Amino acid sequence: MKRKIRWALTAVLAGSLALAGCGGGDKPAGGNAEPKTGGTLNISLDADPPKLDPAFSTALVDRMVFQSIFDKLVDLDANGKIVPMLAEKWEVSDDQKTYTFKLRQGVKFHDGTDFNAEAVKFNFERNMDKASTRRNELKEVDKVTVVDPYTVKVQLKQPFAPFLSVLTDRAGMMVSPEAVKKYGDDFANHPVGTGPFIYKERVKGSTITLEKNPNYWQKGLPKLDKVVYKVMTDSNVALTNLKSGQVDITNRFPFKEIDSYKNDPKIMVVNQADQGYQGMHLNTKKPPFDKKELRQAVDLLIDRDAIVKVVLNGAGTPGHSPFAPSHFAYGDSDKYEKPNLEKAKELLKQAGKPDGFTFTLKIGTTPQNQQLGQMIQNMLKPAGINVNLEKVEFGTLLDQAKKGNFEAVQLGWSGRPDPDQNIFDFVVTGGSNNYSQYSNPEVDKLLNAARVEGDEAKRKALYDQAMKILNDDAEYIYFYHSNTVFGVSKAVKGFTYIPDGMIRTANLSLSK
Amino acid sequence: MAFLVRRLLLAIPVILLVTVMVFSLLHMLPGDPATVILGQEATPEAVAALREELGLNKPIVIQYLDWLAGVLRGDLGRSLVDHTPVSELIAQRLPATLELTVGTFIVAILIAFPAGIISATRPGKWVDYGSTMFALGGMSIPHFWLGMMFIVFFSVKLGWLPASGYVPFADDPAANLAAMIMPMVATGLRESAILMRMLRSSLLEVMHADYIRTAYSKGLKEWAVIMRHALKNALVPVVTTSGLLVAGLLGGLVITESIFSIPGFGRLIVESIFARDYVTVQGAILVSALLVVVVNLLVDLLYAIIDPRIKVGKGV
Repeated sequence: MKRKIRWALTAVLAGSLALAGCGGGDKPAGGNAEPKTGGTLNISLDADPPKLDPAFSTALVDRMVFQSIFDKLVDLDANGKIVPMLAEKWEVSDDQKTYTFKLRQGVKFHDGTDFNAEAVKFNFERNMDKASTRRNELKEVDKVTVVDPYTVKVQLKQPFAPFLSVLTDRAGMMVSPEAVKKYGDDFANHPVGTGPFIYKERVKGSTITLEKNPNYWQKGLPKLDKVVYKVMTDSNVALTNLKSGQVDITNRFPFKEIDSYKNDPKIMVVNQADQGYQGMHLNTKKPPFDKKELRQAVDLLIDRDAIVKVVLNGAGTPGHSPFAPSHFAYGDSDKYEKPNLEKAKELLKQAGKPDGFTFTLKIGTTPQNQQLGQMIQNMLKPAGINVNLEKVEFGTLLDQAKKGNFEAVQLGWSGRPDPDQNIFDFVVTGGSNNYSQYSNPEVDKLLNAARVEGDEAKRKALYDQAMKILNDDAEYIYFYHSNTVFGVSKAVKGFTYIPDGMIRTANLSLSK
Repeated sequence: MAFLVRRLLLAIPVILLVTVMVFSLLHMLPGDPATVILGQEATPEAVAALREELGLNKPIVIQYLDWLAGVLRGDLGRSLVDHTPVSELIAQRLPATLELTVGTFIVAILIAFPAGIISATRPGKWVDYGSTMFALGGMSIPHFWLGMMFIVFFSVKLGWLPASGYVPFADDPAANLAAMIMPMVATGLRESAILMRMLRSSLLEVMHADYIRTAYSKGLKEWAVIMRHALKNALVPVVTTSGLLVAGLLGGLVITESIFSIPGFGRLIVESIFARDYVTVQGAILVSALLVVVVNLLVDLLYAIIDPRIKVGKGV
């Protein structure tokens, strides 16, 4: 009986959907605000995702699309806590070196193959391969073993506190082993996961179309029929599309427009702290910044409140550490001094440069980069420090930073859920993102200790200690933690902001 | 026919030269493609592995010859970013730009011809001033600004046309036209202004010629004189300008394509340059150079139709 009712309901639903599809613009004017199922959600992206393959992805914008196609072993909730997803539960051994995951049963990949322990093992090994960009995140993993069809054991070389956090992002996304075998190098053009939506087609530079996964493991989800990601590189273009209804969510919102949409009846501006930070690397191996006092002087002259107010239009938090406000390590380590010209001049004198000095700051090419650069220029001028701004296209900027070919370079980080992922590779000796070529055995020791520490409070204490040294050494000048700002049409129901700044589509529906 | 063959053969060294220049210029750009592709998170080993895989360690001449050998086999290579065949990327992007180019050109002609003829036949009158003003405005107003204004007015305020959302013509002609009309008019207005100025001055010159006086003295109506005698002779410089316009549009619609989110050819080239996707840029430039050669060929053929005195076989 129950089954029959369900069939009848499905038939009615399908019928009404078909009608709505044919009816063009005229939607039935139902009075209830109850979110409906079905419909197409359009999300604009500020860049074309380069690679739809979690193992090889390097761009922030890829991760946006991944949320709909791939499920992860674990996910983040709205409070930034780690919650089960494809792994129903897990146990950590007493020595913190073995994680045993119990997997959700009855989950299928979009190509119909089973999700099971073998698939998890396959994914770990694929991500640990030397070609994978995930390799670095998983380098503490020693061995992955299949215990039974739905149990996987992951052994680490040493305790690694950020391990679960890592699995809430690309390294924990499960792709279909069969599809990888079938498509090989071309998998990025045929992504297959277990997520709420199935990859349908893509027009490079324009759209990525996903269709509902009718066999999704979460009952009643997804609610939409289709999700279409549209590439709109100009945020004003995206905004006009949001206003005209061609787009329901924009992943970037022009900072300057935030205030004017506060009371808009149709558009909600989501303005929330994300996990990243911005600042500049000072090259500790090259004059002038091989002198600590000069680095400290620059640090002391930066007016972070002014930067947040002007460059971000208030959509951010002034900062002095790599830990965003949502991290447990945030707080003590983020305290900074108000700009202090006298003290800065004192430091210049100590370094033997009482009249100041000149350096070149390399920045990206966006108007925002330029504005930031000019503000820094003006803030340092009173102490006699002259800044030559050199605008460099992003790819080149990264290349030059990696090669240590700079005096100062403005580069930030989009952020990750665990503090370790935002600090370790940036400051430890020889770290892959340690562009400042900084090296301090004490910091190395503290950060390695924080990595293996399971207790949050103890970890925070270790980070506080490390930050004290780092802020004194000032090899990187932290400016701010910016917010993620989305424009969301009020027709979109079920939108929840997750602190990693990624849009989850499974729960969304449209009431228009 | 011999002329055609010779023209096509002459085009080959031109195209080759273009690709050599693009290839060497791209490689002169600072920044390592492997670093750009792998981004901030890459380990040095991964960068080294990718460089090896992409053949970036080979001398540039070898890289170029490898690519050329592929082209001769009909293989434009695969994108460095995601391994998609470059020919597929181009096939995806070219139709939108071709359509936009043709549409823009049609809009330009529809405006330029009547306006140019009317103002040339009434020099110094208010219609002339009016259309000259229009032309000046058309050339001065940036078309990206005009495009934005169109969107604000027709999409946001009135809701008549979609602000974006390109649909291939074959899939849904009505939706395709709805999406394309604003970009076509926004760019077309500008091009029409240039064409109109050209047509006006060229017509004015012809109107003073003896044979026009003869035509008038035979008792022909003004309309007939212009259409049958003057216009045809005034067309040669206009066709030359049109050829340049069309050739320019094929690669130069980047801004229009960005504003209206049209997946076009111009954006493909720009995006690939930013991604250091040399292989894609190479293929796209090659196709672009081919198109320009074809357009120039068509222009030459048109000359012969307009003015049989320009003997095709003798070369121009």
